[in-house]
Amino acid sequence: MLPDSPAKHTSALTLTAPVAMGYIPLGTVFGFLFVQAGGEWWLAICASLLVYAGAAQYMMIPLLAAGMSTASIALATLIINSRHVFYGLSLLNRLPASRWQRCYVIFGLTDETYSLITTLAPGSNARNMLLVTLFNQGWWVLGTALGALIGAQAKVALLGLDFALVALFCVLTVEQWRVRKSAAPLWIALLAFAIAYPLSARHAMVISIALSVLAVVFLELLRKRSDGVQP
Amino acid sequence: MTDNLYVLGVIVAMALVTFALRALPFVAGQWLQQHPLVHRLGQFLPLAIMTLLLVSSTLGAMSDDPDRPWLELLAVLLVAVVQWFSRNALLSILLGTGAYVLLRNFG
Repeated sequence: MLPDSPAKHTSALTLTAPVAMGYIPLGTVFGFLFVQAGGEWWLAICASLLVYAGAAQYMMIPLLAAGMSTASIALATLIINSRHVFYGLSLLNRLPASRWQRCYVIFGLTDETYSLITTLAPGSNARNMLLVTLFNQGWWVLGTALGALIGAQAKVALLGLDFALVALFCVLTVEQWRVRKSAAPLWIALLAFAIAYPLSARHAMVISIALSVLAVVFLELLRKRSDGVQP
Repeated sequence: MTDNLYVLGVIVAMALVTFALRALPFVAGQWLQQHPLVHRLGQFLPLAIMTLLLVSSTLGAMSDDPDRPWLELLAVLLVAVVQWFSRNALLSILLGTGAYVLLRNFG
């Protein structure tokens, strides 16, 4: 980035304003649904303080309500958040040097924080990076607290509010589709699901992810073999 | 969801898994960057997993409302179209959920 890039002059707070517009309402929906599903309001806040991952937190509500085992929920979290592994790769040499600041920025590396940090100038100080991460989590926790308190006050009998979850996954699918390099992941995933669902409706998700990973490994082996044949 | 200790245990487990995933590249970045299969999975998995989450959560919502499964399809389609043209996640989610709740309760 150029030395006089605007990112350097903008305060961390203004930089996170667009994230606040998304995190506060989405956090509110999470807090609300969590409490409506029977959870304590302070546990909703705990989840946003400690887990801090949007899609996984939305997912945990129906799984907790169904009383799934801790290990299965941890596995589901591993699967949903596995994309986060690939964010860190592009930030390897850009994080604050101080151990605790570094740890916190890594902890707070959500989709939105990642995209803001990548827009900060490379020479930008560690304090800015830390503040951006801190403000973003602040918005998420604030939203969660609001939603949890509203949800605890009013037991609304509106059916289908949890459709917000389906809508969130739909938005994320559309965004992944927009930046796709190939359509294969979508078709392979659908095929895997069509195989897995009749086998076990309960475990269809885990089975189809395993099938998809196997498909990638298989295609990679095929590609290697055909590369090897060529002179 | 009334057993607070169970919920707290799940929160701690999810926190550990999420942090481990975010920290992994900083611990094993070199290895991950060199491995072609990891690269492949990184390109492949996000779209595949989102598709699976969308399909299974839609089926879940349909089973709550067995009489009119087309409601869920309609609402998902609405969210997809709004998101495709507006690129505004909040707008898409609020419109889709609002329309769905209205149809479900008063339609």
